[in-house]
Amino acid sequence: MKRQMRKGAKALVESLEKAGVEVLFGYPGGTVIDIFNELDTAKFQFVLGRHEQGSAHMADGYARATGKPGVCLVTSGPGATNTITGLATANMDGVPMVLISGQVSLSAIGTDAFQEADMSGICRAVTKHSFLVKSAAEIPETVAQAFYIATHGKPGPVVIDIPKNVQQELTDAQYPERVSLRAYHPEQAARTSELNKMAKLINEAKKPVIYAGGGVIAAGAAKDVASLAAKAEIPVATTLMGLGSFDEKSPLSLGMSGMHGSAAANWAINECDVLIALGVRFSDRVIGEVAKYAPNAKIIHVDLDPASIDKNVVAHLGICADVKDVLTTVNSRIKRAEHKEWVEKIATWKKEQPMTFPIMHKGVIMPQQVIEAIDKASNGDAVIVTDVGQNQMWAAQYFRHNHARRFLSSGGMGTMGFGIPAAIGAQFGRPDLDVVAVCGDGGAQMTFEEVIVAVEHKLPVTFVVINNNCLGMVRQWQELFYNAKYSGSILSPKGRGKNEKIPEDLDYDYLPDICKLAEAHGAKAYRVIDPKKLDAVMKEAIDSEKTCVVEVIVEPRANVYPMIPAGKSVSDMVFG
Amino acid sequence: MNEEIYRLNCYVENKPGVLARMVGLISGRGYNIQALHVGPTEDGTVSHMKIDVLATQKVVNQIILQLRNQVNVIEVTSRKM
Repeated sequence: MKRQMRKGAKALVESLEKAGVEVLFGYPGGTVIDIFNELDTAKFQFVLGRHEQGSAHMADGYARATGKPGVCLVTSGPGATNTITGLATANMDGVPMVLISGQVSLSAIGTDAFQEADMSGICRAVTKHSFLVKSAAEIPETVAQAFYIATHGKPGPVVIDIPKNVQQELTDAQYPERVSLRAYHPEQAARTSELNKMAKLINEAKKPVIYAGGGVIAAGAAKDVASLAAKAEIPVATTLMGLGSFDEKSPLSLGMSGMHGSAAANWAINECDVLIALGVRFSDRVIGEVAKYAPNAKIIHVDLDPASIDKNVVAHLGICADVKDVLTTVNSRIKRAEHKEWVEKIATWKKEQPMTFPIMHKGVIMPQQVIEAIDKASNGDAVIVTDVGQNQMWAAQYFRHNHARRFLSSGGMGTMGFGIPAAIGAQFGRPDLDVVAVCGDGGAQMTFEEVIVAVEHKLPVTFVVINNNCLGMVRQWQELFYNAKYSGSILSPKGRGKNEKIPEDLDYDYLPDICKLAEAHGAKAYRVIDPKKLDAVMKEAIDSEKTCVVEVIVEPRANVYPMIPAGKSVSDMVFG
Repeated sequence: MNEEIYRLNCYVENKPGVLARMVGLISGRGYNIQALHVGPTEDGTVSHMKIDVLATQKVVNQIILQLRNQVNVIEVTSRKM
């Protein structure tokens, strides 16, 4: 049978269907009109964002919530460059994504044509890989390869840049049944000797700690971590990205470790004799001063990425392999054990320094209470999507995380503006769950336009804006380390730096009016000022079938504690 | 650790953009490339890049691992010059 000729644009849509795409996020433009022309008959849904950065974060949030690659389509030039922050965010956190960007026609490339940008060049440093497609015949195979690369090895974003004339060219090329890449073979198996050594170290440990990261979630190994912890009675600390990989209601849970981690987690890592690091990259936000990190421990480091082993912390035993594969074997080789004294000591630490906060002014809501209210109202089952800064740390600290893929946060890149669009992407991926975005007033203003997308699709997302009228984390650092000189970090028209030349007679305390903004976007808006009303409003908003924005006016001077200042060690931990 | 000149011998797929990815990964970390040679191997689909960088052993090891992670890279080895 003669294979049918069709346009490159049609071949692309067919290939995306074959790749299993269910939702495509994006924004149109001149060099992708041909692709948009084919979308009406596509088997997947198209979701129109309001800014390409938003569309990229939606694809990212979808991928984090489901484990499936997020897919995004944008035009050339500014459309493509607007996604760079989204790509970098996904790249740092190992999130599988495929981004298709239009490009000017091949004959126009290099001529400074209208809306021309060298996307494959620009995105190089913030993607796992990129393709510039030069003929329609390459499209099906390139799409297959892009999805393979995005999801194999350490996941990451892949860009496919497709010139306009290539989209119009005819081809009969078919989607390949199998992908073969000559040079890329990321699957690595641990050696038997390494696994035996790991089991031996665990068996001999007196004060072991498991330290679980995002790699555990990516590998789907949360259950295996729980088995390991239970079998040998090992306390578990997580990274920010690892939240949800271990049930925080378990007595063995230490919560999050690192700069704003729990005292118990940081003390335990400081004192442990074997640190079992699973799917982590030892971020500087976790280790602080390298020389003083886990000084008594033999460190076992299991990670899929060979470049992350011995990068920041030198491991006693580095194993480059899939966490799930490793634990499947190791769990069968370790002995059932008890570490009664060690676990009791940790329990004492948890009692001594629990996660608590003072009420600074009576009648003023503390931001931590907002997270507790969300936890209560959602019964701890919601997908929490954070923005970046203080709101992110409080969400990490005060929500009782107990499911993988239900705490979505820009950990590595720390991208403000991530929360709102990523929550929308997550809700498209998980329509069965409550999705709650936790944002500050700063980050919310960066991508607020995307709220429209939730409203027009009738998504029951709850966008919580913790409004302290300032950029809280910057303000906190300025208070602690820069003599309380609040340069650039105050969002209220009052109390700004002289240099900003804001007229003193401005009659506003809060700008914008978040509730009016929410209503202008079609969302139901709540403003909470009274602490007594917080729980009820939160419950109503989360239970509601409507898209809700809940603005909570909070204590503006609240800080995130505990805190280990950057580059310092456990002994420098500050409790506020 | 002292900085010394290391030669990275890279065997990569002969495709557009690969050189830029390799060089960009090194220069993006602030390391200066002292010398660069790219040519075909007997297998025309594979290129051989010789990249000389001034760096410490630790940094070179890290760069090698990151270069090997690239999709079009077949093998990277190094030797002190």
